[in-house]
Amino acid sequence: MSTANFIQLFLSGLTMGALYALTAKGLFIAHLATTRMNFGQGEFLMIAAYLSMTLLLVGVRVILVTVLVIALLGLKGWGLERIALRPLDRLKSLVGGQYSWVLTTMGVALIMQNVATLVWGKSSQYSPPLFSASRDNVVKIMGVGVFVEELLVIAAAFLVVGLFYVFLFLTTHGRAVRAIAFNRETAALLGIDVTRTTVLVFVIASVLAAISGILVGPIVTVQPHMGLVFTVKALAVASLGGFANPLGVLAGAIIFGMAESFSNYFNSAFGDLYPLLVVLALLVVKPSGLFGEAKADVR
Amino acid sequence: MIRLEKVSSGIGSIDILRDIDLTVTRGELVVVLGANGAGKTTLLRTISGLVEVRGGSIKFDGKTSEGAKAHELARSGLVHVPQGRQIIPTLTVEENLAIGAEHLSGLGRDEIARRMEAEYERFPVLKTRRHILGGSLSGGEQQMLAVSRGLMMAPKLLMLDEPSLGLAPQALQRILAALGELARTGMAVLMVEQKTSALQIADRAYVLKNGAIVHHAPAADLRNDADVFRHYMN
Repeated sequence: MSTANFIQLFLSGLTMGALYALTAKGLFIAHLATTRMNFGQGEFLMIAAYLSMTLLLVGVRVILVTVLVIALLGLKGWGLERIALRPLDRLKSLVGGQYSWVLTTMGVALIMQNVATLVWGKSSQYSPPLFSASRDNVVKIMGVGVFVEELLVIAAAFLVVGLFYVFLFLTTHGRAVRAIAFNRETAALLGIDVTRTTVLVFVIASVLAAISGILVGPIVTVQPHMGLVFTVKALAVASLGGFANPLGVLAGAIIFGMAESFSNYFNSAFGDLYPLLVVLALLVVKPSGLFGEAKADVR
Repeated sequence: MIRLEKVSSGIGSIDILRDIDLTVTRGELVVVLGANGAGKTTLLRTISGLVEVRGGSIKFDGKTSEGAKAHELARSGLVHVPQGRQIIPTLTVEENLAIGAEHLSGLGRDEIARRMEAEYERFPVLKTRRHILGGSLSGGEQQMLAVSRGLMMAPKLLMLDEPSLGLAPQALQRILAALGELARTGMAVLMVEQKTSALQIADRAYVLKNGAIVHHAPAADLRNDADVFRHYMN
């Protein structure tokens, strides 16, 4: 493999890794605070990608697209918690009732896939570039041509990952999330509104999916079934990180992105198979994930 | 400060508390004694809004409180230090101290810092350990942290669920001394206990058996009444 190939594959792996990290962090924070997650996280990303593409194609400015899509997806996250998750609390005491959220979030995912098919059709589409004039804009790094769009997507994704960390560890609401992750009743006794914090968690998860969707549009093709692939990969990434801390999720995402990028260079026939095999192999060696512990340590 | 009249409560299909009458006034330290399974924890959980009231009424600070949510009661000054301390292990001592106060409306950073300093004066060991994770503290230190975390919320009524559990005698004496001091400053304190050590500092005591109050007397009387304990606490 030439140096040029290596750099291109490395950056491509980093780009996809950063996007998987954003999606997986949505699953992570929801699971951390509620031991539930949205199996339609990928579909939220898909809807965000379509909305972003549609708005960009009609000439709306990128900054406005970002604000609008984040606001709409945040609202969707609120709706998901309110309609598909909170009513299930009363089923908790029934056999299997504590897992009913799996069905409802998957149901929401299926509805979104079908709505997307109805509105935007089955064919794959490309979203216009976000940061550069054309999708083929290239800069030279160490003599190797690299897409500007990819570089800026990496920067934006890592910026959001950093902001997520700041939120979780340095803000009052972040500490409230960590308190309800420990024990919901203890959190309530400390004056924390557990219901509102849970809503906030699902809104944040949806906003992370929105940002991933906006960023991923110009890099991969947008189609109604892209969400499932992202959900599966984000689950693999979060499992690899041990579902234990945000840095673990980031490390898992980068390993996954790199495995995907480099395996595709050698054999692209099975696309997504190799990175999933890497995850399986690592989980066989360390079943609690690379950063997992017996109990979740959000630090 | 708090008045329970004919309060009944339970979990699922099981009734646990029956016709509980109990009062704690400002500046009073009251202990509820009872054996394992008597309903002590349920009593505190009912008052703090974690367990549904099925009958009777609870008035806190002059207002009806049954039906209110636990976080609303905590913000209004009804602070419950639960059994097992429930220190959040992934937060530092300082973060654990601040987390309750942070959710009180209108409380600025300066006021939180001032209250924290007051707690460090009360339990100096917490200051030396303020940057380590709460989960790393010893049992006695965790209990001090749990009490201080509650006090950071400036409670009108402080409720403690078996604070003596698992504590060495020296640590227990420090906690009891601090609670006695708090009551003298005008705070209402309600403790539930299996051990009688809390009678040293209590003003009044109730004995709880099978979910009902079976005895009520000044703590000084109970301290010298061995028969009551043989009969009710066995």
